[in-house]
Amino acid sequence: MDLSLAIFVQIIVAALLVIGLMVGNAVVMVYMERKVAGFIQRRPGPYEVGPWGTLQALCDSMKLLAKQLYRPGNVDIILYYLAPILAFFPVLLLFLPIPFGPYLTALNVNEGIILILAFAGLGVLSNLLAGWSSNNKYSLLGAARAVSQTVAYEIPMILALLAVVFQCGSMDLKNVTEQQGAWPWEWNVLTQPLAFFIYVVSLVGETNRAPFDLPEAESELAAGFHTEYSGMGFALFFLSEYANMLLVSLVAAVFFLGGYKGPVADGFWWIFIKAYAIMFFLVWIRWTFPRVRFDQLLNINWKWLLPLSLLNLWLTAIIVKLLI
Amino acid sequence: MLKAIWDNIKGLYSLVVGLSITGRYLLSPVETIHYPRQVVDDEILASFRGPIQLTLGKKDPAQTRCVSCQMCVKACPGHCLKVTKGEAKAPVAWTYDFSYCCLCGACVESCPTGALEFSHKVYLVTVSREELIFDLLADLKKRAATRAEAPTPTGSAATGSASIAASAGSAAPAPPAAGTAAAAAQPSPKPAQA
Repeated sequence: MDLSLAIFVQIIVAALLVIGLMVGNAVVMVYMERKVAGFIQRRPGPYEVGPWGTLQALCDSMKLLAKQLYRPGNVDIILYYLAPILAFFPVLLLFLPIPFGPYLTALNVNEGIILILAFAGLGVLSNLLAGWSSNNKYSLLGAARAVSQTVAYEIPMILALLAVVFQCGSMDLKNVTEQQGAWPWEWNVLTQPLAFFIYVVSLVGETNRAPFDLPEAESELAAGFHTEYSGMGFALFFLSEYANMLLVSLVAAVFFLGGYKGPVADGFWWIFIKAYAIMFFLVWIRWTFPRVRFDQLLNINWKWLLPLSLLNLWLTAIIVKLLI
Repeated sequence: MLKAIWDNIKGLYSLVVGLSITGRYLLSPVETIHYPRQVVDDEILASFRGPIQLTLGKKDPAQTRCVSCQMCVKACPGHCLKVTKGEAKAPVAWTYDFSYCCLCGACVESCPTGALEFSHKVYLVTVSREELIFDLLADLKKRAATRAEAPTPTGSAATGSASIAASAGSAAPAPPAAGTAAAAAQPSPKPAQA
């Protein structure tokens, strides 16, 4: 067995594991989201299916699998069916460079964060195609919003990550993790608090979550870009949305919260605990804040996050230059 | 300019306040009642305005106070009441079609003798529309009979409305207490008390 074949097998195995992770993550997140929503509104949330409603998400996914794939008239058939697939598969690639543990990385890439940021941009293309091909004004409006919002929020996100890259001198996610310690006071969040804040705000915008869920604002746009999708088409969007949430949370954990390092023993459990803590925070703010208006959304980005992240990057560059 | 920037930064504090409120709610116990396993107290049901019923008579509880004046029939916007006058003033048939009722209370308001009141039937379930057409005279007789078996209001309200009946005073035919007791005695799909 030569080396390239070994890497090929490794990537195939990793891709299968990542698909399992995505599906499992969606099931866990649907349950967590509904339970947290319930408790915040002082009601029990899903309760009937399985003990404490734990099987509710499974039943929902069975329902989605069994549903008819309805296609409305006058859609662009190729793009209409391509969009959910295009939403799903790039996310698979994004999980490959994440260091889940000291030796648990699917693909060791020197510039892992560039790979992630480059292919994360494909997600918005699928939203655009879905909205365009659906032949529905709500879908089209949702797609237009998705594009302008995601493109805008990518910039402060990248600049915030770039500050950490300046500080660590590396784009390799494993290297960034290794430079942080096990305990919270050794994490990058202490040296880069502003970057962490900017990153968290822009990841909410990037993953189209409330209060920045303009592309699928229910009260205005029915369901936004996936209005016309049913069954597995919708399920793929849904899966990739939750997978994107997990991904940006994992990146936040790697860059700011010490990745797989933690007290007692390093390992994949720490990165998942940190990532799910961030996701819990996302769910929490979803059920706390009202949806912003679109001009407010873009004002937050262009007038606050972008100048702040540029300032942060500039200060980081100066300090790094002075200290080294 | 500087003030606007400062206001925006101060606005961040309100986000923290919002998060703390929802966080507190997240940790506090749930407020809702899980119906098949738990039911609300009868005390709360005393203010519930369910389908109307005839009030118990003053002297003979089984005798209605209705004088068949048809005021309620005229007042009803859904035309769900039908009162048939007998030889004397007392009605011989009193049908109430709950499937058309909007619970507006116009009949209760318009009744000159106070013969109508809201019941507290919160667990009313039927499997067909026909079952929603109630014969209120028969219902009244049944309630009067249940009350006769257990003479005192506190005794008849065995399922938990004892506090209401006690607070309504010792006067036996106190309408709210009687109504609650009657509602509790109705053959409804009542679950076991949690």
